[in-house]
Amino acid sequence: ASQHRIFSFFNEKHLVLLRDGRTLIGFLRSIDQFANLVLHQTVERIHVGKKYGDIPRGIFVVRGENVVLLGEIDLEKESDTPLQQVSIEEILEEQRVEQQTRLEAEKLKVQALKDRGLSLPRADTLDEY
Amino acid sequence: MLPLNPIVVILHKEPQETKARRYQRILEEHLGLQSLVFEDISYESSLEDCPLDEDEDAFQGLGEEDEEIDQFNDDTFGSGAVDDDWQEAHERLAELEEKLPAAVNEQTGNGERDEMDLLGDHEENLAERLSKMVIENELEDPAIMTAVQTRPVLQPQPGSLNSSIWDGSEVLRRIRGPLLAQEMPAVSVLEYALPQRTPQAPEDDRDLSERALPRRSTSPVIGSPPVRAVPIGTPPKQMAVPSFNQQILCPKPVHVRPPMPPRYPAPYGERMSPNQLCSVPNSSLLGHPFPPSVPPVLSPLQRAQLLGGAQLQPGRMSPSQFARVPGFVGSPLAAAMNPKLLQGRVGQMLPPAPGFRAFFSAPPPATPPPPQQHPPGPGPHLQNLRSQAPMFRPDTTHLHPQHRRLLHQRQQQNRNQHRNLNGAGDRGSHRSSHHDHLRKDPYANLMLQREKDWVSKIQMMQLQSTDPYLDDFYYQNYFEKLEKLSAAEEVQGDGPKKERTKLITPQVAKLEHTYKPVQFEGSLGKLTVSSVNNPRKMIDAVVTSRSEDDETKEKQVRDKRRKTLVIIEKTYSLLLDVEDYERRYLLSLEEERPALMEERKHKICSMYDNLRGKLPGQERPSDDHFVQIMCIRKGKRMVARILPFLSTEQAADILMTTARSLPFLIKKDAQDEVLPCLLSPFSLLVYHLPSVTVTSLLQQLMNLPQSAAAPAPSNPHLTAVLQNKFGLSLLLVVLSRGEDLQSSDPAAESTQNNQWTEVMFTATQELLRIPQAALAKPLSIPTNLVSLFSRYVDRQKLNLLETKLQLVQGIR
Repeated sequence: ASQHRIFSFFNEKHLVLLRDGRTLIGFLRSIDQFANLVLHQTVERIHVGKKYGDIPRGIFVVRGENVVLLGEIDLEKESDTPLQQVSIEEILEEQRVEQQTRLEAEKLKVQALKDRGLSLPRADTLDEY
Repeated sequence: MLPLNPIVVILHKEPQETKARRYQRILEEHLGLQSLVFEDISYESSLEDCPLDEDEDAFQGLGEEDEEIDQFNDDTFGSGAVDDDWQEAHERLAELEEKLPAAVNEQTGNGERDEMDLLGDHEENLAERLSKMVIENELEDPAIMTAVQTRPVLQPQPGSLNSSIWDGSEVLRRIRGPLLAQEMPAVSVLEYALPQRTPQAPEDDRDLSERALPRRSTSPVIGSPPVRAVPIGTPPKQMAVPSFNQQILCPKPVHVRPPMPPRYPAPYGERMSPNQLCSVPNSSLLGHPFPPSVPPVLSPLQRAQLLGGAQLQPGRMSPSQFARVPGFVGSPLAAAMNPKLLQGRVGQMLPPAPGFRAFFSAPPPATPPPPQQHPPGPGPHLQNLRSQAPMFRPDTTHLHPQHRRLLHQRQQQNRNQHRNLNGAGDRGSHRSSHHDHLRKDPYANLMLQREKDWVSKIQMMQLQSTDPYLDDFYYQNYFEKLEKLSAAEEVQGDGPKKERTKLITPQVAKLEHTYKPVQFEGSLGKLTVSSVNNPRKMIDAVVTSRSEDDETKEKQVRDKRRKTLVIIEKTYSLLLDVEDYERRYLLSLEEERPALMEERKHKICSMYDNLRGKLPGQERPSDDHFVQIMCIRKGKRMVARILPFLSTEQAADILMTTARSLPFLIKKDAQDEVLPCLLSPFSLLVYHLPSVTVTSLLQQLMNLPQSAAAPAPSNPHLTAVLQNKFGLSLLLVVLSRGEDLQSSDPAAESTQNNQWTEVMFTATQELLRIPQAALAKPLSIPTNLVSLFSRYVDRQKLNLLETKLQLVQGIR
């Protein structure tokens, strides 16, 4: 039986969240049973706080196991967002800053625990974000 | 002339002898090979056959997948294991584009020699591929769906390969006519590229689609396509496979391409693999130096040119259109070749389909259609075709009418959507013509509907279930609830009903698989093989009970706890069954219903017995058993769920027991904090209790002394109760109920009344004594408590009580 409803979303703009935390937005062109995706005119969107920046990436082929979720973007609602788009450089800078503060906080935490004689177990770094 | 090496064709174990015979005959005849050795290698022992046999019923549709196991897979034995440097070859090939004219002129004389060279080098490779291809043809593979048979000229029939081949070549020759003037770089490519390749014969084993992926060894995974020469993930072929075959089994298999994967833009390569291009019998890509019966097995460069050329004007002629209509492939490719070679010819257009057949059967057109022909030429035709596809309505009669309606609605929507919202540019603007839509987004429909169906079929297969209620309980219940909700809403108002799509999963009838052990003829006994359907017992575990003396105190405690856990589990199963009876009741027939009711009652009784730990011969079971159950988190939740099913007396009994041991339970609940879940069923119960029960319940709760004469200095029981959220809430509920009874029935019997009054007096005294800080925050405060207390205390104390218990709204 043909199941049209499942695959009614082709060639629409999609948002893909990957396991490493990246957000990809592109036109979904192809899919297979493992959820391997082919995205066209993909843009990697980096979010920091209320700002976001888009990095054009071209064609993406994503291996299915790395996909967390995939959703269709409602084009009418797409522009209806409180987030502010900034340039790539700016968003990368913001991201770096955010990363740094996080690392420092982490360091402090580890140090504090060490002082008390405790230690955090090393987390499995597969899903870091 | 190189000597022909005997071809060793490795076949899998064939159930039918005739197949092998046929292959042999064909190859011998058409390839002109001297000796063919067929090795019938059967690696599948009968043991292996067993599981497959068993699964046959379930997986018949997937065909004879076991034939596809490649025993001598390329990864280990063939070229997959050896790296070859495609980059160099590619660069060399790319250079050739400049040298085309010179090369071709040379070729005219060397055609024959080249053939044999090629043949000598690649025959092993070829033969194996041939056999593989023929095998493919025979199987019903869900992945490779038999394409639409739109080859009127060729009339493919599996049996009459001879005629087809020659027919094809006729057409080939005709088509080649106008293109003679054009350079065919193919041969030169091979000649150029091959000499380096000659010493590396083992590498020549490549899969046909020329992807970079090596051939994989696979096992017949259910739901995935069997191993093919093309790697997994390749979209199903769309060409008629028989027509494919005939090309390959040409007498002179020249033009075997060197093993180089193409590094050309993907979009086209995906959708129309070179295989498909190959199989076009009237492909105009054959070099004229070759004899008529040249198979259009393309070299990488040719393919590249095809793809590259076709890509020149993506807007003009969307390649997706090519994919759509198999018949279209030939001439656009011809057209595509032109731009490369005769710079100027761009965007060859096709006549509409009825004329298309004429295109092939008639003498080839003297000149290709003028390049200025506007896209709308094929456009409307394609539009027709495309619109035909979605118009096809699958059989939906088996679906629920609401579901069917929804499905069609969605299809409509999607069609509109695709028309409107596709393409990178204009989003949101509504364009109704397919034409524009195609022009905007040439990459739309990269995936054929067939491919989408195939993937969704796989996914649906995974959802097959014989009993959805068992396998997918939460989903089913959730949707039931939603439906009930929407039904309720609909009853209330006549608004547009929000239709929720529910995935209707394929329902599979339950099949009983009884394992039948394999038996060989002439042998004694049967072989027992352990498989998924017939798991073998590996460990013989014997239960040994230990004597009581050996156990230490800790062990006894532990055992007791374990016993309690077991009882909880058993009771829980009963509970789940009882909860399910309603559904079963609805599903069952009239006659069965009384029996169901009986069962249900019986189960409820046994639940209660389990809870109270009823032992035969005991008049009044001890609280201990129940308390043990209540100490465990799961036990508390279970009691909360059981309570609605019990009769009033039984439930009241439970409640009393709880009240009696409440401090203890509170202490044990400190970590879990699950007691509040009991509040709601208890409250419900309390509101059904008669006055007497309520009175005694209150006594129990507050541990009030029987006589009001000697109040105890401290009341740890009450303190504990009041300090706990659940305890306090329960107390308030009981008080409220008492108040209800009082107020509703003023002419109640005096004894009851007196008892209640006494208890209330004591209660209020106790309450007044407790410091406010110690009080917990109750879950809910009944509203009639103020009036309750006002009966028994004066104004001042009332105020005190109010503030203490926060009875008046707004204090909090």
